[in-house]
Amino acid sequence: MQVIEGIRRSGVGVRPEQTIREAATIMEQSGVGALAVVDGEHLVGLITDRDLVRRGMARNVPYDARIDSLMSTPVVTIDAQADLHDAFALFRTHGNRRLAVVQEGRFVGMITVDDLLINLAADLADLSRPVMAEAIFGHHDSALPATE
Amino acid sequence: MHASIGDRIVIHGHRIGEPDRDCEVLEVRGPDGGPPYLVRWGDSGHESLFFPGPDASVQHFEPTLG
Repeated sequence: MQVIEGIRRSGVGVRPEQTIREAATIMEQSGVGALAVVDGEHLVGLITDRDLVRRGMARNVPYDARIDSLMSTPVVTIDAQADLHDAFALFRTHGNRRLAVVQEGRFVGMITVDDLLINLAADLADLSRPVMAEAIFGHHDSALPATE
Repeated sequence: MHASIGDRIVIHGHRIGEPDRDCEVLEVRGPDGGPPYLVRWGDSGHESLFFPGPDASVQHFEPTLG
């Protein structure tokens, strides 16, 4: 399974010069907890709701300050066509909960630890279904080959 | 996904009781109507780039002839 197939939510991006207040409103209205900061076609940072609180409000940064003053950079990225298991390794290595997904160098979305866990749980459910059926209903032998 | 200027994109709620969100397409930045899209959110008028995922669908608006 490719990373692009594991994305469950739409991605939202803002320009570096947009304000903290705008970013917070966009998060609220779009229902996302993290925004990509995109300058032209280039991904330059990520900003999360946690960043707004810890780096912004807690330090009395004015709400009309530029969002790039709070963003995390450089961004850990993964290619959209990479195997989903490569994302596990990156999460382990970098200890963050989100990876920016890029295709031909351009941001296309975000994949989160939650996405991976939900996909994993679905895979496990698919695998366990026949085993559970066998435990409940007993083993089903396939038919013998027909003989004349 | 393919969208045109003026289309509405609906982002469906992920949890029971979570409302759908929606935005209006102001610009199409990708080739052939593809993403990303510059969109405007609700009443605030704030604009952002939108990179659709499987939770989003487009509502096309056909122009009505007078």
